[in-house]
Amino acid sequence: MTIEPIIQIKSLCKTFKGNDVSAVNEISLLVNKNEIFGLLGPNGAGKTTTISILCGLYTATSGRVTIDGKDVETDIDSIKQIIGVVPQDIALYPTLSAKENLNFYGTMYGLSGKLLKDKIAFWLDNFGLTEAANKKVSTYSGGMKRRVNLIAGILHNPKILFLDEPTVGVDVQSRNVIIEHLKEINKAGTTIIYTSHHMEEAEHFCSRVAIIDYGKIIAEGSPTELIKSNPNCSNLETVFLHLTKRKLRD
Amino acid sequence: MIKLIAAIKKEALILLRDRVGLAVLFLMPMILIFVMTLIQDSAFKSLNERGIPIIFVDDDKDTLGISIEQGLRNSGMCTFNNTIDGVPATAETIEKAVSDGKFLVGIVVPKGATAAIRNNVQLLVQETMGVEEATAKSDSVEIKIYIDPITKKSFLTSVTSSLREFISEIKTKIMFQTFSKQIEELIPDKKNAPGNAFNQSQIIKYKEVYASRQIGEIVPNAVQHNVPAWAIFAMFFIVLPLAGSMVKEKSEGSVLRLQTIPTSYLIFLLGKIKVYIAVCLIQFALMLSVGMIFLPMLGLPTLVIGNSISGILLLSIATALAATGYGVMVGTIAKTEQQGAIVGSLTVLLLSAIGGVWVPTYVMPELMRNISVISPLNWSLDGFYELFLRGGGVADIAMDSLKLVFFFVITILVSLIINRYKRKI
Repeated sequence: MTIEPIIQIKSLCKTFKGNDVSAVNEISLLVNKNEIFGLLGPNGAGKTTTISILCGLYTATSGRVTIDGKDVETDIDSIKQIIGVVPQDIALYPTLSAKENLNFYGTMYGLSGKLLKDKIAFWLDNFGLTEAANKKVSTYSGGMKRRVNLIAGILHNPKILFLDEPTVGVDVQSRNVIIEHLKEINKAGTTIIYTSHHMEEAEHFCSRVAIIDYGKIIAEGSPTELIKSNPNCSNLETVFLHLTKRKLRD
Repeated sequence: MIKLIAAIKKEALILLRDRVGLAVLFLMPMILIFVMTLIQDSAFKSLNERGIPIIFVDDDKDTLGISIEQGLRNSGMCTFNNTIDGVPATAETIEKAVSDGKFLVGIVVPKGATAAIRNNVQLLVQETMGVEEATAKSDSVEIKIYIDPITKKSFLTSVTSSLREFISEIKTKIMFQTFSKQIEELIPDKKNAPGNAFNQSQIIKYKEVYASRQIGEIVPNAVQHNVPAWAIFAMFFIVLPLAGSMVKEKSEGSVLRLQTIPTSYLIFLLGKIKVYIAVCLIQFALMLSVGMIFLPMLGLPTLVIGNSISGILLLSIATALAATGYGVMVGTIAKTEQQGAIVGSLTVLLLSAIGGVWVPTYVMPELMRNISVISPLNWSLDGFYELFLRGGGVADIAMDSLKLVFFFVITILVSLIINRYKRKI
């Protein structure tokens, strides 16, 4: 299998106005096609800022990012066509049902008619939400909301999927369903960039990870490589603690 | 187009499911129209100097008393009364009735007033004609006017001028009759005597004509002011739910997701704008129906909307555009729902006060009248006055409508610029 980078980040920096400290400081990364790439780090490390720059939500202070050969700075509109974003917040309209939310977001991605209807039905069924499909999202449990939130980002079969802590605050069952389906989506050809605080989940889910702290990449490789390269660590969580230390960040 | 329809559908569904918000949008302005019209009805009556309650006591029972009574009854500037709580008014009871606020003005014509005038004129004529040496003393007539302190000075002036006019007319009439009598005695041929010629000669007549193209004469009463004024206020009050929904989308993360979707931000805005314009137009139609159907049921005047339906439609669409644009701008600037609610409600209240919604601009001091032209609510209200009171048409409200549309364009441009700036942080 040939390794072909789909995301290239070179010396990426981001300093917010009024802040002296850079949220992202000289990050360089390569994410390959069909990878599940984990961006791990403590709170405020710069994970969400990095993903936001990749999605075109923030502009970089300096550095260069290309996605599928296109520059984020100059070609964001065509990049938006091939990416899917699942934000950390439940980005849904609480007074609308799951179906109505998905109809709206699907149409905004350019889907319509039977294709959209079938896709909505398929994913709702896959995530065990068919029965609740017509109920208001505000009446859903945390896990159900997370699942709808995820569907809204994958309805249009994106080439690259950005997931910002997609399993935060959900029970084990919901988390399992989400992770299993994400693996299937990846198998179908979608590259996944994923952030999480769940080291165990990341260890089993990601093919490669980068640990980010204070806006810098401090380690990069497959979970197995990282564990091996830190002799006293038995899993990704101990590697993470070893590298980022135990000091509280927020 | 499909995306725009989806945005409109989403916005409409969100709005329809917010029942409390809908109630505020439609019931609040209707209640405001009822309350404010009822409260201001008497004030407008006072302003128009019509229907002011006057109590009148005629102790004279002669020409002067009768003339004044007839004059007041026919003048149309007041409501004539000569009884207090069903009991005939007297010189003694009238002062208390006015001080109790039952009447704004009380007039007492004393006993012998006409006789005194007659006597005075008699003396004057006799002195002028040199018929005989005047020996009798002239009498003075004192007509008492009791005034409630809240009575408008302009109305009081018109009452006293009318009284002077009646007295002067009676005096002239008596003088004319006395002179005629003297001449009749001096000239033997009585056929050529002036007789009752006085009554036939009304040389100058007055006709009040309102500068209006309206059939009939529509004056700015409480209904003619309050219905359009509060309808405009209600349309601008959509700033609250509109800005609120925009801030909510930001805080809930929907905007974040929308910004990663390959669809122009303008599509989302247009979805909102179209739905809220529809809300504004429904609000306006409801408010007009209140003025035309429900207020008359409470004994208030019926709203007269003039003859230009196309003018009303044009101006209400322009007002809806301005209100929606303002809501979008507040929603774009505000960072929290509270901020949006406070900024939105306070600025709309301020603009409505300046614009003449609470108190019509024509009773404002000059400084405030000059300031009022900066308020879009004033442009709209001015346009509706033109249509409803002056019977104007599309051409007459074209400038006001253009100003409102221009305001909409500016607010949307500002919103787009601010939104772009915020994303570049």
